[in-house]
Amino acid sequence: MNAVFKNRWLAILLLLPTLVVLGLFLYYPALETLRLSLYRANFIFQTEAFVGLEQFRTLLGDPAYYQSLIQTVIFCGLVVGLGLAFGLGLAVLVGEPIAGAGVYRALLLYPYALSPAIAGTLWLFMFNPEVGVVNNLLCELFQAAPRWLDNPFYAFGLVVAASVWKNLGYNLAFYVAALQNVPKELLEAAALDGANPWQRFRHVTLPLLSPITFFLVFVNLAYAIFDTFSLVDILTKGGPVLGQTGVTTFLIYRVYLDGFENFQTGLAAAQAVLMLAMVGGLTALQFRLGRRVNYGG
Amino acid sequence: MLRKTFVGLLALAVGAFASAQTVSVEFWHTFGDPKRGGWIQAKAEAFNKANPNVKVTPVFKGSYPEILQAATLAARQGKPPALVQMYEVGSQFALDSGIFQPVGGIGTLDTSDYIKPVLNYYTIGGRVNSIPFNSSSPVLYYNRDLMKKAGLDPAKPPTTYGEINQACAKIASANLGVKCVGFNLHSWFFEQWMAQQGALLANNGNGRKSRATEVLLTSDAAKKIVSWIKDINDKGYYTYTGKLEDWDGSDAIFTGGKVVFHITSTADIVNIADAAKQTGFDMGVGLLPIADGVKRNGVVIGGASLWISKGISSAEAAAARDFALFMTNTANMAEWHKLTGYYPVRNSSVEALRKEGWLNEKAPQLVAFNQLLQTEPNEATAGALIGPFQQVRRIVEEAIQKVLGGASVDAALGEAKTRADAALKEYNASVK
Repeated sequence: MNAVFKNRWLAILLLLPTLVVLGLFLYYPALETLRLSLYRANFIFQTEAFVGLEQFRTLLGDPAYYQSLIQTVIFCGLVVGLGLAFGLGLAVLVGEPIAGAGVYRALLLYPYALSPAIAGTLWLFMFNPEVGVVNNLLCELFQAAPRWLDNPFYAFGLVVAASVWKNLGYNLAFYVAALQNVPKELLEAAALDGANPWQRFRHVTLPLLSPITFFLVFVNLAYAIFDTFSLVDILTKGGPVLGQTGVTTFLIYRVYLDGFENFQTGLAAAQAVLMLAMVGGLTALQFRLGRRVNYGG
Repeated sequence: MLRKTFVGLLALAVGAFASAQTVSVEFWHTFGDPKRGGWIQAKAEAFNKANPNVKVTPVFKGSYPEILQAATLAARQGKPPALVQMYEVGSQFALDSGIFQPVGGIGTLDTSDYIKPVLNYYTIGGRVNSIPFNSSSPVLYYNRDLMKKAGLDPAKPPTTYGEINQACAKIASANLGVKCVGFNLHSWFFEQWMAQQGALLANNGNGRKSRATEVLLTSDAAKKIVSWIKDINDKGYYTYTGKLEDWDGSDAIFTGGKVVFHITSTADIVNIADAAKQTGFDMGVGLLPIADGVKRNGVVIGGASLWISKGISSAEAAAARDFALFMTNTANMAEWHKLTGYYPVRNSSVEALRKEGWLNEKAPQLVAFNQLLQTEPNEATAGALIGPFQQVRRIVEEAIQKVLGGASVDAALGEAKTRADAALKEYNASVK
C-alpha cells in the first residue's frame, strides 16, 4: 500500500502524456469556452467584443431557454426511467430458460450497434405520414394517419421512444449480466419463507441490482443529455415549435443551433458553461449518493 | 544505404521541383452523391489532362454551412481552398467573412453569356463576386394519372393559389385516398412567393442598397402566403412530414403516389421523374403556382455559386477561375443540366439544348426554363441579402409551423418579425 515514487520527477514524467492530452483536448477548450462566454464572438468573422455577463443575462431572461431546460429535464426523466424499466424488464424475460433465448438477446441488443444517423433515418421513414409503414398500418386498422412530427406531443414522444429504443441494448446487457450474479440461494431462501415471485423480485433481486442501477442511471443521464443529439437532428431538427421554441430543442441542440448554424459562438459558449454547471451538479450528486449505494462488500 | 538515402533525397528534390511547377487547386463542394460528385470529379480530371501544369482536386466537404466553417478555419491557418461552392443565401455571409475575393477582380471576366436573373443574384454592389454554378428554382410537379382520376385536365395544371384550391376541392370529392398538395416546410418557398409578388423580403432594397436592418415578414404579401398555407392545411388538402426542410420526406410522398401536386426544386427533375416511372405514374411539371391577382414577377435563383479564396497566389486564383469557367462552359452546363435538372446558367447552353432537340415542347424542363427566362429583373427577384439568413429561415419556418398548429397568421408573423429583426441586429453588431 505504501508504494510511493521516491523520485517525484519520475512520477510527473509518467503522468505527462495524460496531462498533455487532457490539457490540450479538455482543459484548454474548457477554459477557452469559459473565456468566450464573456465575449460577443463570431467564429467566422473572428470578431470578439467583451460583454461581461451580458450573454448569461440574455439567456437567463429568455423564456425560450427555460423552456428548453424544462424539456430537457422531462426528456431525461423519461429516457432514464423508461430505458431502465424496459431494460430490466426485458433482461428478466430473456433470462428465463426458454428455447432461443440467445437469439432474443442478440435481437434486443442490435439497436445499440446502429449508428444514430441510421436509427434516425429509419424512424423518420417509418413515421412518414403518407408513405410510412406506421401510418399505412394505422390507416388500415383505424383510418387514422397522424402527422407525427408536427404535433408537439407526438414528436416529443417519438424522440423519447427512439432514444429509449436506441439505448435499450446497453441497459439490457448490463442487467442480464447483473441478474446472473444474483445468488440463487438467496432467492431460494426467500421462496422457502413463502415469498411469491413478485416479492422475491421486489425485495431480493431489485436491492441486489442497486449498484448497477445506480451506475446505469448516470450513464443514461449522460446519454440523454449529450448523445441523443444526432437522433434529434435527423428526426426533428429540434422541432416542432411549441410556445417559445421547438419542443425537442434540448439544451445541447440549442448550443449547436446557436454555435454552428447561427455562428453566435459567444452565446453558445455561455450555454455550454451553464450546461457544465448543471452537469457538475449532477456529478456531485452522483458522488454523494454513491457512498450510500450498497455494493454488497 | 547511403546511396539509397541519396537517391531518395534526389527523388524528393525532383518531386519538390515538379510540384513547384504545378499549380494545385482544391475545390470544396457539397455533392456527396456519386452522380453529382462523380461528375465534378470527371470534369476535374478532364481539366487536369488538358492543363498539365494545374492539378484540381475536388473534395466533398459536407453541407453549405459546414463548408463555410471549414473554409474559414482553413483561411485562418493560411491554407484556404482555392475554390469553394457556396449556397446563394450564404452570399452576404461569405462576403462578410472576408476570406474570399470577387471573381470579377481576377483578370477580365466575360459575363455576357450568363442568364440575367442568375447573374443578378451574384452581382453585389455592381461587382460579380462568384461564378454561378448549380442553379435552380421551385416548380410544380403533378401526378397526371391522379389528376385524370379526379376529373382534372393534366394539360392545365393550376398556376395560382385559387386554382390549386379548386383542384383540391375536386380531388377531395373524388375520394382517391390521397392528399392534394405537398411541399416540405421550407422558407425557400416563402421567399420565392414573396419575389413572385414583387415584394421585398428585407428593407434597404432587399439588403442590396445597404445592409438590411429589417426583415419584412408582416407585409401583406407575407400574410397572403401564410394565410394560403393555413387554408389548405385547415381544409385537409396539404401534407408534409412535419419535420422542417425535409426534402426527401416530401419527395417520397409524391413519388409514392400519395399526393397529386408537389412543389420542389427543378434540381430534382431527373431523380423524381425516375422514381415516378418506378412507381408507375406519369409525371408533369408546371409553373410555380402563385398568389392570385398579382403579376408574375418570376423567381429568385436558388442553388450555389463558386467563390475564390483570398490569400492564394495569383496563379492559383487564375487556375481556380479557369477551372470554374471550364466546369460551367457551354457544353458542360448542358451536360450537367441533363444529368440533374439544375439550370444551365449560360444562354449558349440553353441555345445548344434547343438545337439538339432536348428542350422540345414536351420536355419537363421547358416550363422551368421559361419561368426563369421570363423573370423580371428587379430588386425583389434579385433575392435578399441577409447575413443571418440561415437563422431567419428557421424563424420563418417556425412561424408557419405555429400557424399550422392553430396560431393566427398575424400573431405568428408579428412574432417572427421581432425575432428576425433581433437576429439581424445581433449579426450586424458582430460584423465589425
